[in-house]
Amino acid sequence: MKRAALMLRFVRRELRSTEARILVLALALAVASVGAVAMFADRVQSAFVEQANVLLGADAMISGDRPLPPAFAEAARAFGLTTTESTRFGSMVSVPVRDGGEVRSVLADVKAVAAPYPLRGTLEARGPTGARVPLVAQVRPGEVFVDERLASRLGVRAGERVELGRLTPRIAQVFAEEPEVAGNFITMAPKVLMAGADVEASGLIAPGSRATYRLQVAGPRAGEFVAAMRPKLGPGQRLETIRELRPEVRSTLERAEQFLGLAASFAVFLAVVAIVLTLRRYLKREIDTATLFRTLGAGERQTLVHFIGQFCVLALLACALGVALAYAAQAALAWTVRGLFESALPPAGWWPLAKAFATGFVLLLGFALPPLVALAATPPVRALRRDLPPLAGSGALAMSLGGIAVLAVVLMQAQDWATGVVFVGALLALVALATLLAGALLWLIRRAVRSGGLRWLGRAHSVSFGLANLDRRRLSTALQIACLGLGVMTLITVGFVRTDLFSAWQKSLPPDAPNQFLINIQADQIAPIQSLLPKDAGEAAAVYPMVRARLVELNGRPISAKDFVSENAKRLIDREFNLSSASTLPRGNRLVAGAWPDATERDVMSIEDGIAATLGLKLGDEVTFDVAGETLRVRITSLRKVDWDSFRVNFFALLPQASIAALPKSYITAFHLPPGDTKTLAAVVAAAPNVLAIDVSEMMQRIRSIVDQVARALEFVFVFTLLAGLLTLYTAVIATQDERRYDTAVIRTLGGTARQVRRALLAEFVTLGAAAGVLGVGGAVGLTWALAARLLKIEFVPSPGVWVAGFVLAVALTLLAGWLGTRSVLSTPPLQVLRESA
Amino acid sequence: MTDSTPPTPSLAAPALAAHALTRIVPLGERRLTLLDDVSLSVATGESLAIVGASGSGKTTLLGLLAGLDRPDGGSVAWHGETVSTLSEDALAKRRQGAVGFVFQSFQLLPALTALENVMLPLELAGADDAEARARDWLRRVGLAERLDHLPRQLSGGEQQRVAIARAFVAAPRIVFADEPTGNLDTATGAEIIELMFSLNRAQGTTLVLVTHDAELAARCDHMVRLAHGKVQA
Repeated sequence: MKRAALMLRFVRRELRSTEARILVLALALAVASVGAVAMFADRVQSAFVEQANVLLGADAMISGDRPLPPAFAEAARAFGLTTTESTRFGSMVSVPVRDGGEVRSVLADVKAVAAPYPLRGTLEARGPTGARVPLVAQVRPGEVFVDERLASRLGVRAGERVELGRLTPRIAQVFAEEPEVAGNFITMAPKVLMAGADVEASGLIAPGSRATYRLQVAGPRAGEFVAAMRPKLGPGQRLETIRELRPEVRSTLERAEQFLGLAASFAVFLAVVAIVLTLRRYLKREIDTATLFRTLGAGERQTLVHFIGQFCVLALLACALGVALAYAAQAALAWTVRGLFESALPPAGWWPLAKAFATGFVLLLGFALPPLVALAATPPVRALRRDLPPLAGSGALAMSLGGIAVLAVVLMQAQDWATGVVFVGALLALVALATLLAGALLWLIRRAVRSGGLRWLGRAHSVSFGLANLDRRRLSTALQIACLGLGVMTLITVGFVRTDLFSAWQKSLPPDAPNQFLINIQADQIAPIQSLLPKDAGEAAAVYPMVRARLVELNGRPISAKDFVSENAKRLIDREFNLSSASTLPRGNRLVAGAWPDATERDVMSIEDGIAATLGLKLGDEVTFDVAGETLRVRITSLRKVDWDSFRVNFFALLPQASIAALPKSYITAFHLPPGDTKTLAAVVAAAPNVLAIDVSEMMQRIRSIVDQVARALEFVFVFTLLAGLLTLYTAVIATQDERRYDTAVIRTLGGTARQVRRALLAEFVTLGAAAGVLGVGGAVGLTWALAARLLKIEFVPSPGVWVAGFVLAVALTLLAGWLGTRSVLSTPPLQVLRESA
Repeated sequence: MTDSTPPTPSLAAPALAAHALTRIVPLGERRLTLLDDVSLSVATGESLAIVGASGSGKTTLLGLLAGLDRPDGGSVAWHGETVSTLSEDALAKRRQGAVGFVFQSFQLLPALTALENVMLPLELAGADDAEARARDWLRRVGLAERLDHLPRQLSGGEQQRVAIARAFVAAPRIVFADEPTGNLDTATGAEIIELMFSLNRAQGTTLVLVTHDAELAARCDHMVRLAHGKVQA
């Protein structure tokens, strides 16, 4: 107890010293930036996932071909989720015969819903000006809501009645769009919403009818619900979130998450640099305390327990301070971006803060434990002989344990093993490379100083003295250059990501991207339809053949849904595939395995790698399709990655033209329809009534707004990371000033003028900054290229401006911090400095 | 008797006795002999000065006598108990309260106030009245008004007074001093010497000091002169 009390008293006393304060401050900053970035990223992510969920009308949906057990809905409510059940089926909707006219009937996509519907987003009606306005209303029994397409095809308007099964409900509302637009394009018929209570009376669903029974849920714990329910699904039941429904949305969300994760990784990177540098200074001082402890009769164990305990308390303090700062910083960030999001950012969870706390603590202990253990073993005779080497052999151990700590932290950031290992490997490789480079640079300086190669610098005595200083503290200088370099590299990379990568991402969804799809075009309708499309529809309006086929055999063995475990795979097997053909690899597609077939090849297929993985298909597999009774046998000769967020027409399976020439097929095209153009589609539908037009402008609008908001919110995150990084680097430079102060005092004692001292320091800092700058810029070029080309799949554009700025920043920052750290030496009597340093 | 329980001091035995002390350190391929066959003995309450040129082995000898370092040959006994063969931790326990130190560079912890610096040996030994005793000792060395000052706010002489208070506060039987006036001007040095000897007399402490200062050496009961690691006649 007494020892614990002494330890706590020491913490209080320690905090009077600059070293302990800088350590606590640097660590608090590191934790603050990790925490703030993680917490803000979490909020931004919830915000855009919430927005994307509007496309599903809910956060998650379970659907099945039979009524769902009530247990599902009960489970959802147990998670505190809002639920709504609906049934979806196809049915004819007709207008009652009037005045002996014809009966008009249209096949509609009917949803029988119960209030509240929808759970996310709202229905939209067409306002008087033609703009869409929110429509807040629930379907009551005896009523239906129909969409504009159905109303125009049937020639009805609100207030009139339609026939739906045995009922003749009144049209209460005509809506333009419902939020739930995600789903299969191909089955998109005009939509009708009816009251769930009317289903039985309508007689539309009899045993054996094809209907989908759905449970939609929404709420903060939807993710937990999804994870809990997935293993409980029975045959014919599936669980869907927006990611699984729309590849475009999934890829946008993933990209946004990658950016946010990147920002968090940078914060960790900077934290590591700050910790390594400030720890060195702190521990160096603690050697004296440890020596005195041992001299005054503290045993090795007592000393060890005391120092580890004291250090843990300091670390806890710093982490707590960091978390408090993080909370404040993310709140400030959220306030700054409040105008960007449609609604207020969802509140942050506490998990990111807990993670930031643990990150700081684990990192600090990882790097500090080996030197602390060595500290306790300090021989007491050091009290008499200060020239004894302090801590032998703990450096390498500290670095390896530190590496493990970094790995633990990266894994804690909920990334996978592979990412963690790559991150730590890259970090270690960079540190090693930086130390090597710094060593080589120092060697060059040494040679230049010795051979007099620096005489051209003019009165170079003080300059070469400054440079020789760097060389004398070789290890410390190398470490400093390495850490500064890594810091600069991170900052330049952050700057690059913030500007270039974001704009590249935003450009990947240009304003004239196709927003309309026309499907079911027959061969003889291609020319007339193309003549009706806007002249500037251009390349986007190319027409692609589409063959509907079922996958029936794999390598000669019949397959069915039963052969697959994953619901996704079962669904793919049950559904019809759309095969198409292309003579060259389409834009936005990239081969990842195999080769693109040459013009002479037949009966080969290129398949998207994601779907291949789901179905367990490999290069060289032979698959058999059933196309309206005919058999098509092809071999997989290439795998492709598809850039889904391009909104071009994309296909999972591509075959040579010759292979599908004789098969029954229709055509599909996509084009950009400028807003306000109402004539083009009407003309197309009039010329080719069988063609189905699908408007994805709403979905694109939503995705584009997600991209914009995330990019702008991220900009703030990156600026914040940048500021935190600058502060970190500043503390890092400050942390290594002691030796320099001592050297400077010695020069002054020996009669050096302030001018000479200044020149020596200038030479030292410029060299240090330049070396760090070269290393940082070089590293940043490599890292940004890797990020752009490998991780984010965005074109890498060299940006010399940022590089030069980074180099200048490195030199300027080192000079500034160096000047701030040593300027007092010039105005303090040398003896005092020497005595303080003794 | 176990290693960790200090024995009752033997009144008959000298306070400090060294027998044939040798200290050798490897220096590259060769071995450098720092101390060669040094024997000495100091009775309780007496004082001993160790003098000699720079590099003669004074500080090495002090380190061995104080149990801060281990000899390569020979032995050290405090009040009849051989301490040079004890384990590192047992030795630390013996130092607690039994031995005090005054260093040339004071060795005060910069983040601790004068009072906290003096309390430290008592706190490490788990004493309950650390603060009262430390206050008392700072008063005795004339620093009653400077209790809450940090070392950097004190002059060199004041810092050494704090160090002396810290050395005596745990009522040690032996105090070791390494060039206690080495960092002080002549006048201040004289004051510090006066203080140390008066405390030595008042407490009946055995005092062993290393010095360059002939005047200081002359005030001690005994003197050992070292040259090249050997005692000179």
